[in-house]
Amino acid sequence: MIMDQSQNQFWNLLSKKLSNEASPQELQEVEIILLNNPELHHQADLLTKMWQQEAKKNKVGSEAAYVRHIMKHKDDFFTEEHHQDITVEDFEKPSFFTKRRLALFSLVAFTLIATGVIYFLTQRTKSASVAAEAISSVATKNGNRTKLILPDGSQVWLNAGSNLDYNIADFNKEVREVSLNGEAYFDVTKNADKPFIIHTKKMDIKVIGTAFNIRSYNDEKITEASLIRGSIEVTLKDRKDQKIILKPNEKISIANEETQNIVLNNGQKVDVKKDAKSVPQILVTDLKSNPVYNIIPEIAWTQNKLYFEDQSLEDIGPMIERWFGKEVVIEKESLKKVRYTGNFENETMEEVLSYLKLSKPFNFRFENDTVVIY
Amino acid sequence: MDRQEDIARLGERIANDDQLAYRELFIQFYNKLSRFVMGFTKSKELTDEIVSDVFINIWRRRKNMEEIKNLKLYLYISAKNITFNYLKKLHRENLADLDMVEIEPQDPFSDPGAAMITREMNLKLRSAINDLPPRCKLIFTLLKEDGLSYKQTAQLLNISESTVENQLSIALKKISGAIRYSFRNN
Repeated sequence: MIMDQSQNQFWNLLSKKLSNEASPQELQEVEIILLNNPELHHQADLLTKMWQQEAKKNKVGSEAAYVRHIMKHKDDFFTEEHHQDITVEDFEKPSFFTKRRLALFSLVAFTLIATGVIYFLTQRTKSASVAAEAISSVATKNGNRTKLILPDGSQVWLNAGSNLDYNIADFNKEVREVSLNGEAYFDVTKNADKPFIIHTKKMDIKVIGTAFNIRSYNDEKITEASLIRGSIEVTLKDRKDQKIILKPNEKISIANEETQNIVLNNGQKVDVKKDAKSVPQILVTDLKSNPVYNIIPEIAWTQNKLYFEDQSLEDIGPMIERWFGKEVVIEKESLKKVRYTGNFENETMEEVLSYLKLSKPFNFRFENDTVVIY
Repeated sequence: MDRQEDIARLGERIANDDQLAYRELFIQFYNKLSRFVMGFTKSKELTDEIVSDVFINIWRRRKNMEEIKNLKLYLYISAKNITFNYLKKLHRENLADLDMVEIEPQDPFSDPGAAMITREMNLKLRSAINDLPPRCKLIFTLLKEDGLSYKQTAQLLNISESTVENQLSIALKKISGAIRYSFRNN
């Protein structure tokens, strides 16, 4: 048995060792004391084992606390839209300066980000067996866009009215998998060992490191993927054996419903050869940047631009709806097929509609959260 | 686990408005901070409120995140300050005393069988830890379960590093005493 004095020294050294505070010499000293005092082995081993026990995780409790926390501070996390309401008086002044001032004003007033985070907590607390299924879901309301960074460093810009889900536990383990409903622009961190896969209703997209845009709103006729750089591999849900490799500046469009021909979101109308039955029609086209505005229409929204090119009011309606978060109703049937081109950045909804109206006339009125075009 | 780089990375993401990173930070530290705060307040409701305050401050000042050198230590110091402010407001300053603190450390072994530890041994360890003097138990827990360093623990509790060092030695010596006897008796 060692002396009390050196006993104390041993516990002091072991304390340092366990807390990662020991110097190399002190670590050696621990070993020497143990060598000379074998009776300390048992206690030292047991204490070390105990020290290294993983901290107990009460994930469900923490997640419930997180939800309480977010709901308590709603105003910090769920930003309301603050589209600048302009008075009729302001609006009717045709002066350039007024318009500029308004643009500046709405730029300042524009709320940057609002995300609604949806928790699958209820599902999780119901049964312990599903506790491992921790789904993270980021959703944007109409009128809001957000940017998020995934655990692997990949960046995602989520357009309005969209949501992106991924499994917290599995993401980045062997593959990086996310599900998308809506529109998002991805800039994926390169990692050849862990492919990045995006699941949408109509297609799965596998990437290694690249930047591209996906548009897959349930209420639209077309699902699109536009590749900006790198390469992506697209697998259609309806025919998994066939893979389509997309090159930079190409876009793949798939009809969401069986239709004879598809009208691309940028207004191009294309006749597609009738393929085999119950197969979605596919089209690969080149991305074209607009020389006037110097933007690629498909990703204009990532630069905070509301852009459409020769598209029918029927198709523009939902875009405006998502952009501003107000419902658009077109009352007059004949207006639905009228085509417009526009590029807006800081304009209010009233301004956008007024500009469109100037090129081809229609009337509109606001009713609460709805705008009626007639 | 909570490596400093990982936590710093979370901080950077939070500065970029990343709510998922914020959520991760919350979930990683909620239980630990709650245990620390609960040691002083002894009230579940008040603890929940304080920990929520700690985190909302992080979100509100996310644009100045680079001012925070060590996010983890910041969370603990912020938790302590907010706790002491609450206690003052409630005229319970007497609870802001390291010798009054009641920390509840986790079980020595969550699964004694898997660690080849008898249940008796686990109970002996548990009661030895529970019998530590309040300040000693707090320091032991901060070092072992919260993974703070001597220096960080000293900074957090406004005590010297050598006090931290001594208190941990005392804790280990006392706990080992308890298991030595049981070893002989068995």
